[in-house]
Amino acid sequence: MEPIIEVRNLTKVFLSRGRKITAVNDISFDVFKGEIFGMIGPNGAGKSTTFSMLTTLIKPTNGSIKVAGFDVEKEDDRIRPIIGIVPQKLSLYPDLTGRENLELMGKLYDVPKKLMEERIDYYLRLVDLEAHADRFTGGFSGGMKQRLSVICAVLHDPEIIFWDEPTTGLDPQTRQAIWRLAKKFNGEGKTLIFTTHYMEEADNLCDRVAVMNLGKMVALDEPASLKEKSGSANLEEAFIHLTGEEVRD
Amino acid sequence: MTIMTELKHSWIITIKEFRQLSRKKALMIPLFLFPIIMIVFFGYGMGGTVKNAPILIINDDTGTASNSLVQEIGSYTPKYGGDPMFSVTYTKDMSQSEAKSKIDYGSYKAVLIIPQDYSERLAKNETTTLTLLTDSSDTTTSGIIINFMKQFLAKTGSVSLNIPDVYGDLEYLDFLTPAVIALTIFFGSVATTGSAIAGEIEDGTIIRILMTPVSKRSVILGKTVYQLILQLARAVILIFAAFAIMGFNMNGSWLLVALVLVIFTLGGVGLGIVMSAIAGDMESFFQLNMIVTLPSMFITGVFFPLSSVPDWMRYIAYLLPLTYANDAMRAVMIKGQGLDVIGTDLVVLSLFALITFTAGVHLFRREA
Repeated sequence: MEPIIEVRNLTKVFLSRGRKITAVNDISFDVFKGEIFGMIGPNGAGKSTTFSMLTTLIKPTNGSIKVAGFDVEKEDDRIRPIIGIVPQKLSLYPDLTGRENLELMGKLYDVPKKLMEERIDYYLRLVDLEAHADRFTGGFSGGMKQRLSVICAVLHDPEIIFWDEPTTGLDPQTRQAIWRLAKKFNGEGKTLIFTTHYMEEADNLCDRVAVMNLGKMVALDEPASLKEKSGSANLEEAFIHLTGEEVRD
Repeated sequence: MTIMTELKHSWIITIKEFRQLSRKKALMIPLFLFPIIMIVFFGYGMGGTVKNAPILIINDDTGTASNSLVQEIGSYTPKYGGDPMFSVTYTKDMSQSEAKSKIDYGSYKAVLIIPQDYSERLAKNETTTLTLLTDSSDTTTSGIIINFMKQFLAKTGSVSLNIPDVYGDLEYLDFLTPAVIALTIFFGSVATTGSAIAGEIEDGTIIRILMTPVSKRSVILGKTVYQLILQLARAVILIFAAFAIMGFNMNGSWLLVALVLVIFTLGGVGLGIVMSAIAGDMESFFQLNMIVTLPSMFITGVFFPLSSVPDWMRYIAYLLPLTYANDAMRAVMIKGQGLDVIGTDLVVLSLFALITFTAGVHLFRREA
C-alpha cells in the first residue's frame, strides 16, 4: 500500500518552567492512502502533540514527517490545502451564521465561489443542518456544532482529514451520524486520521490503530490483531493490557 | 436545600474563584497595581499648576528697572509646589515673529517682550506695555501664565500687558480635541485588536483560521486593515462632532493628521497583538490593557499640559507613544505646523509601530 504520511523518529520536547518534557519520543510509522487510522492512548500519551505536528501546527524537535510527499517543516504551505482538520474545540464564530462560518472557511481555502456554494448546500443537506444554516452558531447544540465543524474541514475536498476526538461529549445519535460521515468520506477515497478515547469508536471505524503511551508508540496494528495478540475480548482490554491500569494526569 | 447548605456552596465557589485568581499571574499584577497607579497619577496630574514652564524673556530695556521684574518672574514658586513656575531663558534683540516661531516649534510656552523704553517710562511715571506671546494651543498652561502675569504686573500699577492671539481665539476644547482623537485611536486600536485576538485564542477560532492555508501574516494584516479603517472612521466622526457641535478650529493639514493617525493606529494594533499573545484569554487581556493603556490617558497631556506634572512623571510620559501622538496632533491641528515640526514625533511613532508589529508577528503563534 502507498503511504500518504511518513513519520520517522519523531520527537517533540517542550520546555516547561525550565524542565524538559518529552511529549513524543522517537516514534516512526506510516499512514496508508485511503485508510482510517486511529491514534489512541491515555492522557499525556502524546496523541495531541503528534496530531499537532502532523497538521503543521507545531514543529518537531527531531525527526521528520512527510504528508503526501511534502515535508511539514519546509513545505507546510503545500500541506495545508490538501488536509482538512476537525479540531476538538469546535471553534466556530458564534456571532456568524452557520452558512457564514462555512463561507469563511471556503474562502480561506480558495474554493471557487460557485463550487463553494454548491458544496455548502450539499453538505448542509447531508448533515441535516439546512434548516439552521442561517442561524448564529452561538445558539447551536454541541452536535450541531460538531456537524458544522466537519463541513468546515471538508469544503475544500481534502485528501486527508484529521479528526481530533470526533465524538467526545456527543449523544449516541450524533455519534452514529459522525461515524456514517467518516465512512462516507473514506468511501470517497479520503484518508482519515482520528484521535479518540473511545475504544468502541476505534474498533468500529479504524483500519489500523496506533496505541501511544508516555510519548512512545507501543503498538500499531489492525484492531482485530491487537485484540488477538493480547488475548483480549475487546479493544479496551487490549488497550489496558498495552498501557497499564494506572490513572494518568 | 437549606440556607446553610446554600451558603456553604457559595463559600466553596468563592474559594474556587480566589484559587483561580491566584494562578493567573498576568491578571494579578494589574489588578492590584492599577488602583495605586491611578491614585498617584490623578493626585499629581490634576494639580492645576505649572512647573518649570519654559519661558523666553526678550529684555530690550536699556535701563535697569526691568532687572528686578525678570528676577522675580524667574524665581517665582507657586504656593503648593516646590519647583519654580518658570524655566527662564533671557535674550534681547529678537523680533516678535522670531519669538512666535520659537513657540511654533514648542521651544517655549511663552515669550515676554520688555520694550527698550521700559525703565525710561517708569522713571517718568508713564504707563508702559509689555507684550506676552503664549502657546495658546496649550490652553491650560497659556491661561495659567496669562493670569499669573496679569496679577503679577497689577502690583506695579503702571505696566500693562499686550497679549496678541498666536493661534486665534482658542478654548480648552481646541486643546483637548486633537489629543482626545489620538487617545480614542490608541484605546480603540489596542483594545479592539487585543480583545478580539484574545477572544479568538480562548474559543479556538483563531487556531481554526491558522489551520487553513492562510499565513499568520495575512491574518495580522487583515486585522490591521480592518483596524485602520475602523479607527480612521472613528477619528472622522470625532472631528466632525468637534466641528459641528462645538466649533473646533482646524488650522493644519488633514493629510498630516491622517498620516499621524495611520502610523499611530499601526502601533496600537501591534501593541494589541503583543498584549493578547501575552494574556492568552480575554479576562487577562482586559486587566493587562488597563495597566498598559489607561495611565497614558492621565500622564501624556491629554487633559492637562505636561508642564503641570512633576519631572519624574514627565519622564514616564516621554516613554509613552501617546505623548508623541498628542504633540503631533496639536502641532498640526492647532498650530498648523508641518513635517519639519512633527518629524521627531513621527519617527518615534514609527518606531513604536515597528517594534510592536515585529514583536506581535513573533508572538502570534500558529499552535493552540
